[in-house]
Amino acid sequence: MKAHWTLVLRVGLVLLAWEICGDFRLIAHGALPSPSDIVLQWWQDREVYPPHIAATLWPASIGFLLGNAIAIAAAIAFILAPTLERLMRGFNVAVFAIPPIAISPLLVITLPGIWPQITLAAISVYFPTMVMTLLGLRDVDPRPIAVIRSYGGGDFAVLRWLRLRSCLPGMMGGLRVAAPAAILGAILAEFGSGSRWGLGSFLLGSLGRGKPARIWGIGLAATAMAALAYALCALLAKRYTASAGSVTIAAGVAVEAPRHSGGRRLQELALSCAALVIPFIIWWAVLAGFRVSPVIARGPLAVLSYLTSGPEAADARGAILQALGQSLPWAGIGLVIALAVALLLAILGVLWRGVTTALMPVSLVLQTMPLVALTPIVVLLFGRGIATTLVVTVVVTFFPAFITIAQGLSQAPKPALDLLDVYGATRIQKLRFVSFPSCVPHVCAAARLVAPAALLGVMIAEWLATGYGLGNLLNEARGELDYGMIWAVAFVAIAVSVCFYQLVRLIETRLLKAFAPMAGA
Amino acid sequence: MDGAPKSIRTDGLSLMGLNRTFKVEGRDIVALNNVSLECEPGSFTALIGPSGCGKSTLLRIIAGLEHPDRGTVLIGGSRPLEKCRQGALGVAFQDAALLPWRTVRHNIALPLQVLGRSLSEQTSRIEQLIELVGLKGFEDARPAQLSGGMRQRVAIARTLVTEPSVLLLDEPFGALDQILRRSMNLELQRIWLESRATTVLVTHGIDEALFLADRIVVMQRNPGRIACIIEVPFARPRRPELFAAREFHGLEDEVANQLFGAGGA
Repeated sequence: MKAHWTLVLRVGLVLLAWEICGDFRLIAHGALPSPSDIVLQWWQDREVYPPHIAATLWPASIGFLLGNAIAIAAAIAFILAPTLERLMRGFNVAVFAIPPIAISPLLVITLPGIWPQITLAAISVYFPTMVMTLLGLRDVDPRPIAVIRSYGGGDFAVLRWLRLRSCLPGMMGGLRVAAPAAILGAILAEFGSGSRWGLGSFLLGSLGRGKPARIWGIGLAATAMAALAYALCALLAKRYTASAGSVTIAAGVAVEAPRHSGGRRLQELALSCAALVIPFIIWWAVLAGFRVSPVIARGPLAVLSYLTSGPEAADARGAILQALGQSLPWAGIGLVIALAVALLLAILGVLWRGVTTALMPVSLVLQTMPLVALTPIVVLLFGRGIATTLVVTVVVTFFPAFITIAQGLSQAPKPALDLLDVYGATRIQKLRFVSFPSCVPHVCAAARLVAPAALLGVMIAEWLATGYGLGNLLNEARGELDYGMIWAVAFVAIAVSVCFYQLVRLIETRLLKAFAPMAGA
Repeated sequence: MDGAPKSIRTDGLSLMGLNRTFKVEGRDIVALNNVSLECEPGSFTALIGPSGCGKSTLLRIIAGLEHPDRGTVLIGGSRPLEKCRQGALGVAFQDAALLPWRTVRHNIALPLQVLGRSLSEQTSRIEQLIELVGLKGFEDARPAQLSGGMRQRVAIARTLVTEPSVLLLDEPFGALDQILRRSMNLELQRIWLESRATTVLVTHGIDEALFLADRIVVMQRNPGRIACIIEVPFARPRRPELFAAREFHGLEDEVANQLFGAGGA
């Protein structure tokens, strides 16, 4: 009971401070409205909120169901046929690395009605659910497998009696991460859709109106929606898992199937090549299957020729390279700052527990916050310059990184810590000899998980605020109906994101050899 | 113990010229080198030896969980996989290997479900098995609520549910303490006397092997092979007093000599 009252008191104090800051326009000349202003604005907008929310929620829900159904089916197919997983690895990484905002305009021009929103929501949920389900299906106690096999049970029997049930906690964890992602995806697909309804459209329409209270209101409403979706899934998950609370996807290297022994290099090479080509085949097949007009929809070859041999190839390349030069450094810098701060705070959290106790709940909440809703608020506070780009990128990447790293630090092997205790080790020594080395894999995983988010953060800031870089180029191309450029930018953004991801993976593999010799066992 | 499980038939085991080599970091580890062994129907054989002598590999090969590079295994004249599908094998491991989300009753029923047998006809049998292993009243408990010894009893009951003709036990009491282990040995003898399945027990405990088995197969490593076979003449049912008997200690020393003398380990 006492803890409850302290919490109420604290929240009350924060609200009071906020109210005072807002009422006296203390922060960025009134960019931070007071809570009462926000509530008042909500009341004034009470008629328009329901249709906006419905217009976002409906496609988000369909996309959530559709994307998860595909993700779970894919995970089951991958566990039964490991070669298939190997072949689809390029596709999976591409889906993970897609900055949703990069393909949003492209979906808007190719798909009818609310399908862009459904598709983007589905794409956003596919990866977390697929990875967590696959991890759950794969990470099964080997001894019951032996029991089932000793009664002649095959792969299907193991799947049916063991894997399907034991993957539930992982799968539920995936759904939990996927729920806010679906809402974010649906909102992002409203960008440039020209649709009147939806929280994304509402937000875009309110940007230049000089009404901070409304922008904050929309942002908070979107956050509440995402948090509600998260809580709903978490409630479901609680029945199946003891360790609730994680909102990041598992730190394990789930995308990589265990390497089979027997050095058939040629076969490996063929599989790798196929895995590289398959995303392009899927891209081509989807366009062909939906019979989209070739004027609007560009296949892989069309994009290639647009960039190399077309009439505007040189101009297009120049524009994209210039935009890349503006976007990439900030994505990189933002990522490094976020990781460094996350690592520092996580380490401080080990030394003084209060740091983690204070930051963890905030991180969990902000993780579910749709970052589009955040960007206008950052703009209000920091203006339309580089600072905004950097802040958005850091905020977007910091929280998932912090959660992953803090989890890694808390999972330091207990017997090793006990051993150090026997020799009277200090907290710093324990950190140095055990906790830190044992969390290196988690730092790597954090980097890998948030690398694509860094690019997404930069592009959103550019689209909404700063007017530089890839995000701006995409927004301009969309405005001018320059289809070739829309596809080219989307392709380049995805390719860069995948390279970013692979680069981090490469570093990770090197580091893991030194720090996690057991990882491959 | 009326209506206790009885095997319909018991199968003999015949292992002929088994070889198995593992590759570890590019080097060949010979887990089994030309191992041959005959087990009479209804006999109880204990495999004992230092770690790495291939005794667990041997058991896994008999269970069809691994395959030999050379040699054959026949269970009552058939291949292991064929016997597996008939539910003729019961296997217990060092870990109880229970499914944490299933109750005691449902864990015991798992083999029947894998084999696609009807559960409804077997409910009374499952109740009997629960009684046999002394877990009455815990039918609906989950593994997490049970102690280590109780979990191991569930695993033993599970191995018996298909009325197997061959029991393969891989250090089933290895994780238990000495006191619990001894009482489980007594229970295993009682259960085995009722089922009379051909049994192969892998163990590290010389006293456990002597108390339970008709004969002890001593294995050595590098390469994994059978060093010698020692007959155990004690009459059944064996009573706990046997552990203190002079003949028992004499035989214990003989096994120990074979174990430590031959390998030079």
